[in-house]
Amino acid sequence: MNLRMTTAAMTCGLLAFATAAKADSGGPVCGLNTGEAATGEPIRVGGISGNAPPGDFSGGTRAAAAYFACVNANGGIHGRPIAYSVGNDQWNPELAGQIASRLVEDEGVVALVGNGSVVEMAVNAELYAEHGVMAMASGCAISECFESANIVSTNQGPLPSGIGALRFAIEELGAEHAACIGFNIPNNGGWACDWMNRYMEQHGLRGTSILMDPTSVDLNGTYLQALASGADTILLMLPAGPAIGLLGVAEEQAGRDMFNWVSPTPLYEPGVTEVLGDYWDGHIYINIELNQFDSDGADNRNWIAVMDAHGRDGDRRDTFSQAGYLSARFFVEALLELDPESIDRASVTDAIRGIVGAESDLLCGPFYVGDGDRHMPNHRGRMVVLRGDAFELVRNCFDIDTAYLEPILEQERRLGLRD
Amino acid sequence: MKPNFRSALALLFFCVAIFVLPLVLGGFWIRAFTSAAIFALAAAGVGLVYAQLGLINLSQIALIGVGGWIALRLNFATDLPVFLLVVIAGLGTSALGALFALPALRLRGLYLALVTLMVAATFQILFNAFQFPNGGSGFWGVAQQSGQAMRRPSIATSDAAYLAFSMVWLALGLLLIEAHKRSAPGRAWKMIRMSEANAMAAGINVTWFKIWAFALSGFLAGTAGALLAGALRQLDARSFTAIEGVLLFALAVVGGVYSWVGAVLAGVLYKLLPALLNNLGVTSDLALIVFGVALLHAIMTAPRGIAGQFEALFQRKDKA
Repeated sequence: MNLRMTTAAMTCGLLAFATAAKADSGGPVCGLNTGEAATGEPIRVGGISGNAPPGDFSGGTRAAAAYFACVNANGGIHGRPIAYSVGNDQWNPELAGQIASRLVEDEGVVALVGNGSVVEMAVNAELYAEHGVMAMASGCAISECFESANIVSTNQGPLPSGIGALRFAIEELGAEHAACIGFNIPNNGGWACDWMNRYMEQHGLRGTSILMDPTSVDLNGTYLQALASGADTILLMLPAGPAIGLLGVAEEQAGRDMFNWVSPTPLYEPGVTEVLGDYWDGHIYINIELNQFDSDGADNRNWIAVMDAHGRDGDRRDTFSQAGYLSARFFVEALLELDPESIDRASVTDAIRGIVGAESDLLCGPFYVGDGDRHMPNHRGRMVVLRGDAFELVRNCFDIDTAYLEPILEQERRLGLRD
Repeated sequence: MKPNFRSALALLFFCVAIFVLPLVLGGFWIRAFTSAAIFALAAAGVGLVYAQLGLINLSQIALIGVGGWIALRLNFATDLPVFLLVVIAGLGTSALGALFALPALRLRGLYLALVTLMVAATFQILFNAFQFPNGGSGFWGVAQQSGQAMRRPSIATSDAAYLAFSMVWLALGLLLIEAHKRSAPGRAWKMIRMSEANAMAAGINVTWFKIWAFALSGFLAGTAGALLAGALRQLDARSFTAIEGVLLFALAVVGGVYSWVGAVLAGVLYKLLPALLNNLGVTSDLALIVFGVALLHAIMTAPRGIAGQFEALFQRKDKA
């Protein structure tokens, strides 16, 4: 382990210790935790999230904003506050490109943190690479997010989370033929469902993709397609809204017991249990990318404390929010390693790439970035089942076995994170 | 406004747009102005058919998508220069635009509007079902993975240079329209607009000139689609919904369909206003309310659009 990694590990350890100690006392722990407001020259940081029908991906940027506010109130980055500027791409590729240009070219941000979108990463991955700026995202759902050198996310996205749900369905529910229901978007539903099918084939089983037009969702037709496919398991590769709608259709047609029902993370949202009701009690299994919202881990409690103290009323408290908090925390820890007077885009990019072995109880494994041409540090998840008015943990941290992860696992070996 | 003054004004506008804007604007506005220029080109096409023949075409957004599809497909399948890709996309879309003219030979007004709206809805479904090429194999060229990027011309790889490139295309497109207006097609369209029966009696091939207008409009939409693919480096099916076609036509009317200024204003309203609102931290959907009010204003008080009001203002000053 070189000196840089040792220093980073020690800093992480100290911050984790402080987090645990302070979280026990109920207040949030952020950055240097001095209790004094930072007053130096601001460090400009950007963020892009999409908030428009059919989904709100702002949880990551809102949590990052809350964490940065907390850091600024606690000494900042050795006295320098973080000036966080966020844009809403409204699921519009042109707006996404315009906002990225404003942040990266006009405002000269040193990095982007907390990004969550279904269009932003595809449009802007090349811009980030051209300008040597890193995006520490937290709400990734498309392939470009995990296949670009300058984007790294703390969330898993649909592919590992979906395969995790499938693995559970095969091992615990006896799934033999899974229908993956997603949106017909090549780098989203098409990409994820394609890899679901390969995963099923890899295990000598069968997978079927049922892809819906995202501009005119026909849930009844989709459900009938799933019935006709002969699948025994349905994987809901959808945002929470359409997934709940499809479950409603299945309930109307008494379809609960005709399939095993599994889902990646999006269905794990506060309030979903009330919406779905008793009918689905014990019948929906969800792979979660980060720890449970009510877990006792120090970092999870600190996320809640930060949102309580520095969040806004109405801020989402979902997985993207947890991931946004994590991205912001890892980002701040990387910045604290730098000489505050020499912080610029190049030094920040190097510092982010230098993150190796950062830990959190929200994750199932160490977080890292490195200098690979793609990043997917979070690929181990947990499984929960809807039980009563809560989600109950049914399988703790487990990994997935898919060819997609081969270059990722090779990176981990190079970084000394895996044998 | 005297013709010489009008030409000088147009020349000055495009000199500023091509040579000055890319130098003085920041990254955000460069991208916003690029989108505005591209959609002004498409609006000029839809305005042409409405102004010259009095026909409502709500399917222009579908033609923009078709142009983008052709450009992307050729981009991944061939090494043709981007300039040529834009021309081929324009010509291919022009042929489809001519096909769209077939219903217009028998229909007008509300019925033609409904038919073209259905065409736009059909293409919305087709785009979502088959998606835009992203470097995959086969005829459709779609791979279920991260997409590859559309090339840009070597002289316009940066966003600033691409804005100038798009402005040049807009200027060429508007000149093409002007050339048509001042020659045989323009005279024929004028007669057809006044009375199809009289036009036929005068020996004008009404069918041919209607198809020609739609083909020209399709050409402009196709080039706009190809330019849009280069601006965004890829296209998303969700950008080409039928409702966008209605919006584009409405804004062409608001801007004014009888002069090039109207098309430019339509592009500005359609793309710069939402960008401005977003930049102010306000949802760009608010622009829809502004568009609605502007359309009411145009229908009630300014049938020649905002551009017509500007012209009337100048003419009053000239008389004074």
